[in-house]
Amino acid sequence: MKKSRKIKLVLITATLAACNQSPKDDWDNNNKIHLRSDTTAPYTRVHHYHGSGIGNALLWYYAFRPMGNYNNNRYSHSGYYSGGITPRSNIGSNSFKGSVSRGGFGRSGFSVGG
Amino acid sequence: MKRVEIQPRNKWQSAVEQLGFGFHTTDVPYWDESVYYSLSISEVDAIEKATATIWDMSLAAVQYVIDQDLFKQFQIPDFIVPLIKKSWNEDHPAIYGRFDFCVKDNQIKLLEFNADTPTSLYEAGIVQWFWLQDFDKSKDQFNSIHEKLIAYWKILLPYLPNKTLHFTCLKDTLEDLTNVEYLRDCAIQAGIKTKLVFIDDIGWDEDQQQFVDLENDVIQNIFKLYPWEWMINDQFGKNIPIAKNEPYWIEPSWKMILSNKAILPILWKLYPSHPLLLASFFDNTQLSDYVKKPLLSREGANIEIIKSTQTILRTDGEYGEEGYIYQELFTLPEFKGKYPVIGSWVVGQQPAGIGIREDNTLITNNKSRFVPHLIE
Repeated sequence: MKKSRKIKLVLITATLAACNQSPKDDWDNNNKIHLRSDTTAPYTRVHHYHGSGIGNALLWYYAFRPMGNYNNNRYSHSGYYSGGITPRSNIGSNSFKGSVSRGGFGRSGFSVGG
Repeated sequence: MKRVEIQPRNKWQSAVEQLGFGFHTTDVPYWDESVYYSLSISEVDAIEKATATIWDMSLAAVQYVIDQDLFKQFQIPDFIVPLIKKSWNEDHPAIYGRFDFCVKDNQIKLLEFNADTPTSLYEAGIVQWFWLQDFDKSKDQFNSIHEKLIAYWKILLPYLPNKTLHFTCLKDTLEDLTNVEYLRDCAIQAGIKTKLVFIDDIGWDEDQQQFVDLENDVIQNIFKLYPWEWMINDQFGKNIPIAKNEPYWIEPSWKMILSNKAILPILWKLYPSHPLLLASFFDNTQLSDYVKKPLLSREGANIEIIKSTQTILRTDGEYGEEGYIYQELFTLPEFKGKYPVIGSWVVGQQPAGIGIREDNTLITNNKSRFVPHLIE
């Protein structure tokens, strides 16, 4: 036998399973997507979602989109939309030390691919 | 090796999406289960043996490059060389790599080694495995990627200072994120505490001289799906060797040697006429039919196939400034106009399984389809 006998996934499928949950009553009156990204994180509203017929995986992807805002032309990062990354990074209230700079990696902004 | 056309599963898109595989289709299908490749057990054994052999040869080639100080031939800048040597001499943690093989006429030939940022791991380790459960679970598959990943993360765990392992890749690329999240999944199952931070968000703490995540937690161990040659050319690149806490980068910086196509002429020099290798050189004076490859090309970009001084196929791209190598032409096997490449995985120093990419041309690129396989 060359193949794995049994495969269990604890992170990815949990994320996707969350995308398949039925909407709650109070979700009816908006066009935002609600999902959770692991079994412990609180439900999180995912903003900036447009259109219909979008696949689950893309919803999952949106869960990992960062959120932040521009202030005086400077972008302030305040965490990710997903509750599954870390609770602290999702509350949108990070205060950064003055000596920390960001954005110094990622200049080559395209997939590494195969 | 046979190519077998079949009917895809009903609602196969839904089946693979439930696994977290969201990039199965772009403008053309990427995951293609209307066909599979059937390999004999002897073919699989030969690929497994070849993988182990080439892996050993590759490590010897890295040692040779370091001993002979050939970094300039690889276009590796001086400032990162001490870190490369340190990561090699101290055996910093590494987890995986993927050889691309041409398998034809009872021969196996190394085309290249994706040693730093190989992708298609999720397709190979998970998606095709679940496909086989649906298609014919009595059949075998050359694929123990998943259990080997978990097993090797367990081995690495004691060597990770402070035990937390960050995972990073670019934002806005679902393929990279899926690969990273899959590796993180396996690390979690191995008992490793993990955190995800996109590489665009990594911070540099000027006072403490160390990299931090979004919560300003120090990054001590980090798996990155982002090429070394991009990292060292980014603004923060110069900070990598001076980080005071000396973080472990996985894959380690010595993989810059192995992932560079300059390793192919080095291998040929060290193992001339080895049956698993194709003749490769830094110039084209000794070959009439050859493939011209940039040192750092990805996804089949900027590749040129020359036959008797005539270019028969060429791809566009942004690579080539760094120079080229020239590799003897050994065309992929043809199955009704389709050309498969075997991607053979090394996980934790061991052959772990294969994934097959198929294209309509002789050059495999980012639109080439991933097709499953089984062992007859």
